Amino acid sequence: MKRISCLLVANRSEIAVRIIRACRGLGIKTILAASEADRESLPAQMADQVVCIGPSPPAESYLKVGTIIMAAVGTGAEAVHPGYGFLAEQPELPETCARYGLVFVGPKAEQIRQMGDKIVARQMAESLGIPVIPGSGLIQNLGETITAAEKIGYPVLLKAAAGGGGRGMKIARQPEDLKIIFSEASAEAQAAFGDSRLYLERFIPTARHIEIQIMGDQYGNLVHLGERDCSLQRRYQKMLEEAPSPALSPELRTEMGKAALALARQIKYENAGTVEFILDPEEKKFYFLEMNTRIQVEHPVTEMITGIDLVKEQIRIASGQPLSFSQQDVKLKGHSVECRINAESPKKGFHPCPGRIELWNSPLGARIRVDTHCYKGYFVPPYYDSLLAKVVTWGQNRLEAIAQMQKALGDFLVSGVETTIPFHRFLLRSPAFIQGAIHTRWIEDILIKEFEENARNNLC
Amino acid sequence: MTSITQDDVLLILKMLDESAFDELRIETGDLKLLARKHGKGISLDEAVFEDKRPTPVLKIEPTLDAEKDLNLSTMKLTESKVEVQLAKPTLEPSAASQNLMPIKAPMLGTFYRAPKPGAPPYVEVGSMVNEDDPVCILEVMKLFNTVKAGIRGRIAQICADQGQMVEFQQILFLVEKISEEKESPKASPA
Repeated sequence: MKRISCLLVANRSEIAVRIIRACRGLGIKTILAASEADRESLPAQMADQVVCIGPSPPAESYLKVGTIIMAAVGTGAEAVHPGYGFLAEQPELPETCARYGLVFVGPKAEQIRQMGDKIVARQMAESLGIPVIPGSGLIQNLGETITAAEKIGYPVLLKAAAGGGGRGMKIARQPEDLKIIFSEASAEAQAAFGDSRLYLERFIPTARHIEIQIMGDQYGNLVHLGERDCSLQRRYQKMLEEAPSPALSPELRTEMGKAALALARQIKYENAGTVEFILDPEEKKFYFLEMNTRIQVEHPVTEMITGIDLVKEQIRIASGQPLSFSQQDVKLKGHSVECRINAESPKKGFHPCPGRIELWNSPLGARIRVDTHCYKGYFVPPYYDSLLAKVVTWGQNRLEAIAQMQKALGDFLVSGVETTIPFHRFLLRSPAFIQGAIHTRWIEDILIKEFEENARNNLC
Repeated sequence: MTSITQDDVLLILKMLDESAFDELRIETGDLKLLARKHGKGISLDEAVFEDKRPTPVLKIEPTLDAEKDLNLSTMKLTESKVEVQLAKPTLEPSAASQNLMPIKAPMLGTFYRAPKPGAPPYVEVGSMVNEDDPVCILEVMKLFNTVKAGIRGRIAQICADQGQMVEFQQILFLVEKISEEKESPKASPA
């Protein structure tokens, strides 16, 4: 066991605020590694100390392993929390931490590596009897792709082996489509990940994205904390998440939890992780998608229905303590919804809108939680992702949680930058969403068109 | 550092490869390592430790805006494991020296005034420096980066302590600008 008294936060924005709050709760001093653009940010104001690690572009600051390590060593920090994004899933960071005697708040480098290679992860899942979406191994050329697609059955999804976040993914409904998209996808994968390897998967049109939160310690204790339904996405970027999923029966929940734990156990997984599945609601079948070896953006909905502070637990586990709860202790209570509010213009194709926030009246009240780094007068820098805030609500049941969110977003006033709040308000009123009858392409295929039409009518 | 293993060398090479620098030089104990990108040859005279390394371009701000940032600098020196309050650099230029210009850290790293332990410092207060003169070394994980003055003048103040971690853009030196007219009558005003 290694006592942590001082922790370096190697991230920015709302997750940096979240980690600093967790550290305060544990009596841990915090040091924020901030880029030049973030020196005056809210987490910089909250941290006990700020260290400027470099210029604003992430490649020159937040993505530099050596600089992060130097900042931790030079300030006497004993641990590094990577948050999500940036270096969170780069095995070099935990490896270098170990060489410098620093505790990395996350899994082992080897575990990140195994799950980071999507093909290895998929093969491991298959070997454990966890269903995977019918698909191919690596495909080298168009001929192989067409043969593999015939075997899997159309429509198929062409994906990057090194992929994530939806980049490098393309749908083909017939062999002719493959001829067009094969070279595109290959080039896109090369550009985005430096790795042009591709594979094919069956495409499920009404699929839901369901993920299981897991938590493991150094002593082999592993538990799952139920699921999150993240089916509401635009271009594979999640916009609204909820827990539990309205589409899951208790039997399916148990089965998916077991599958997630089997995979985690196979690699002796430590710390917080998420196993993602695609659910085919019509067939009542689930398929392993991938595992994320970090805390996720949408972790608050799990915290709201379990009452467990995942970030505090991450830090405790990293310091060598055993899990503070058992599987029996995990009781799901009520329902929680999270809306990701981005600095984007929904009327202009979700174009990012950085700038100075002139008005920031965020919602308050019982059963409302807002995770944010924004405030009146804050300048949203153009170098990073556009997440401004996560509004999270809780209710005894799903409809209560949605009603609470409608009220919360009704109260949320922002000016100076455009936000996705109007789109979220529209989404929350949609009958299909309220009935829970949605899928991963519903926002793009249906809701955006309705939103645009509505906006046009209001203008006339 | 007691010894360097093959793994260390490979790691150092990898770090150099990913860095913005073309070349690096390490001396520890009896070992000297000179590594360079793009397969440039190493001439005999370079086997001696001397300074030909390219350094990052320093951004010299015309004002001392970063002063207020420095007030935040409370750091711990790890070697001693004792918390040390950094003396706040006194940056208010006196009335007589309105032409003080800062040399700022081009990266986060450990500040060393000399090219190697025991060697005389690159500069002292009062030293004259030209743009290309090295003034200190910033170490990032055993990568030693020479910082050049980037400005012509006389070192008026050394604002960082030997072996201290400095932040990106932290002021390392204050340089008193030597007015151009004295040196060359043809120089146009700045």
